[in-house]
Amino acid sequence: MKLSFKKRSSSEPVKYITLGKDGKKYEFIYSPTDGLRVNSKKQDIEIIDDADGFTYIKFKNKKFPVEVIEQNQNKFVILINGVSYNYTVETPLSYQRKQIIEKTMKKSKTGFVSAPMPGKIIEVFAEENAIINEGDVLLILEAMKMQNEILSTISGVVKKINIKQGDNVNKDDILLEIRQ
Amino acid sequence: MKKINSILIANRGEIAIRIIKTAKKMGIQTYVIKTAKEPNAIYLNFADHICDFTERFDEIPEFLDVEKLIETAVQYKIDAIHPGYGFLAENPYFAQRCEEEKIEFIGPSADVIYKMGNKTIAKQIARKHKIPLLEGSKGNLANADQAIEIAKIIGYPVILKAASGGGGRGMRIVENDSQMEKNFRLATNEAEKAFNDPSVFVEKYVRNPKHIEFQVLADKMGNTIHLGERECSVQRKHQKLLEESPSPALTEDLRKRMGEAAIRITQAVKYYSAGTVEFLLDADGGFYFMEMNTRIQVEHPVTEEITGVDLIEQQIRVAQSEKLTLTQDDIKINGWAIECRINAEDVQAGFSPNLGTIQKISLPKGEGIRIDTGIESGSVITPFYDSMIAKLIVHGENREKTIEAMLNALGKLRIKGVKTTIPFCKAVLTNKVFVNGTFNTSFIEKDMEKTYFQEKDEEMLAAFFATYNYANEIREEKDTWVDHEKGKNIDPWLLNKRLR
Repeated sequence: MKLSFKKRSSSEPVKYITLGKDGKKYEFIYSPTDGLRVNSKKQDIEIIDDADGFTYIKFKNKKFPVEVIEQNQNKFVILINGVSYNYTVETPLSYQRKQIIEKTMKKSKTGFVSAPMPGKIIEVFAEENAIINEGDVLLILEAMKMQNEILSTISGVVKKINIKQGDNVNKDDILLEIRQ
Repeated sequence: MKKINSILIANRGEIAIRIIKTAKKMGIQTYVIKTAKEPNAIYLNFADHICDFTERFDEIPEFLDVEKLIETAVQYKIDAIHPGYGFLAENPYFAQRCEEEKIEFIGPSADVIYKMGNKTIAKQIARKHKIPLLEGSKGNLANADQAIEIAKIIGYPVILKAASGGGGRGMRIVENDSQMEKNFRLATNEAEKAFNDPSVFVEKYVRNPKHIEFQVLADKMGNTIHLGERECSVQRKHQKLLEESPSPALTEDLRKRMGEAAIRITQAVKYYSAGTVEFLLDADGGFYFMEMNTRIQVEHPVTEEITGVDLIEQQIRVAQSEKLTLTQDDIKINGWAIECRINAEDVQAGFSPNLGTIQKISLPKGEGIRIDTGIESGSVITPFYDSMIAKLIVHGENREKTIEAMLNALGKLRIKGVKTTIPFCKAVLTNKVFVNGTFNTSFIEKDMEKTYFQEKDEEMLAAFFATYNYANEIREEKDTWVDHEKGKNIDPWLLNKRLR
């Protein structure tokens, strides 16, 4: 299937700003006549769905297996060749708003320690209101029969502990909060 | 000699299927265990008989329940038990219970499993038979202070190891006195949890060694041969991720000397069945005995590919007291073989387990390609068992061609639904240090800038695909509101999406 968008009543081109986690920024222009353009250049990108249920992007004579593994509104996790990429798709207006929000966010200084993998809490060393330094061992998380030390990435005061010894946690669960 | 007519497989996944394949070839009936955790696993479809264990459900795997397994074998009048790897494969008590109940345990004797499974005893035996060793504590440690005392003599870095350990659990590298207390506690904790035995010992730690292991095969009469080495230096936290045979580091002379040492220790304990002798190899060709694995190993296919010997068949033949028909001269290394472990793990998130459902899987085919797997489209990856979902083995003429063929095969192995170690394997195979063969066990930390392989343009295309989906969604919303657009041709991609 060729990537081309069919005509619709509004013929105005729409701009999208797509942001990666590491500060990568791509601009796409979608217009009813030209399809989706990358940084205003027209690229020959084809999206193919095969009979086995796999989707590919064809680009420069190469096929890249691709899938959306997570989507939350405009936030996407795309898996391409088995490697995942996080992107947020913004319109020029929402992009502007996002920048303003980020500026205000920087003022608050609470750090969250989340579980890097699903597992079981073996031991908690951190205590509420305790002063800790960057690199201190906060707790031990057992996953796949391995005991992993969870270290603090910031220095500060332990504000809240959400877990206790013996708890099972999922990946990205917030284990504790540290105020700088 | 008593012929084995039926085997209970006390294992699951790919290794259960692997054992069934050989058993079928030999005309042996197979029994497998159906668990409540994986009631639809495909290994069940391959066996002749299914023993239902689904009424129980607790965190302890069914495959660790010695008495239930023995009871099942007795009840169904099954001749032998094959433990596979992991679970009870190296549990001397299980082997002993089999012996008591006159069930043939497909593996070595309980006595040998005990001796080699206890690293302290294994080292004493090795020392007695003049096998080179890394020095350390003479036995288990009472406390951290004792470890510090020994470290003073042998010098840092040292490694703390669980006496009953394996698979990297209960192992801690210690660089100086101040780290000892904490690491001693962690190692004993892990050992207690994993092996129900907190004892640990300490030994000299060789930095940057290669992990080389020898496949041995022995019968009950003491005839012993080796089937060459496996290079297992690509490890993360002592877990192997990619193996090959032969090793690019071994000369014919070194292979001969290491092989002889492997045979010597095998014979010293009157070992029979298939086994693996693990060595550390330093940059100067010095090698040290580490341990002996008294089971079939995950990476056994690379040896099978280059020697043409069916190791499971040999295990069964030895178990029914047959004499080894192969001699050392029969073993010829033919070409090169590499195995990639495809684990359901998120390499980008520190190899954390990536659970879920395999929505689709498409396997590469072709000459020299072998896939040992226990999953298919629709299989569920549960948190109850390990994360390995498949082994991709490629056999080629030489190392260079095998690496190329493996990269090609990895490109054709497609799995939708969970993240896997495929991008990691590609990154290894394209790494210069791996390609030139000089890598050692610190390869992943030291020589890999990135643990996953990225192709040019991938990032941009992923952004494109996200935007494409988003733009389509916005348009779809508009479509449903704008009447006059209805009835027009809808593009198939959009239609497909709506139907879902």
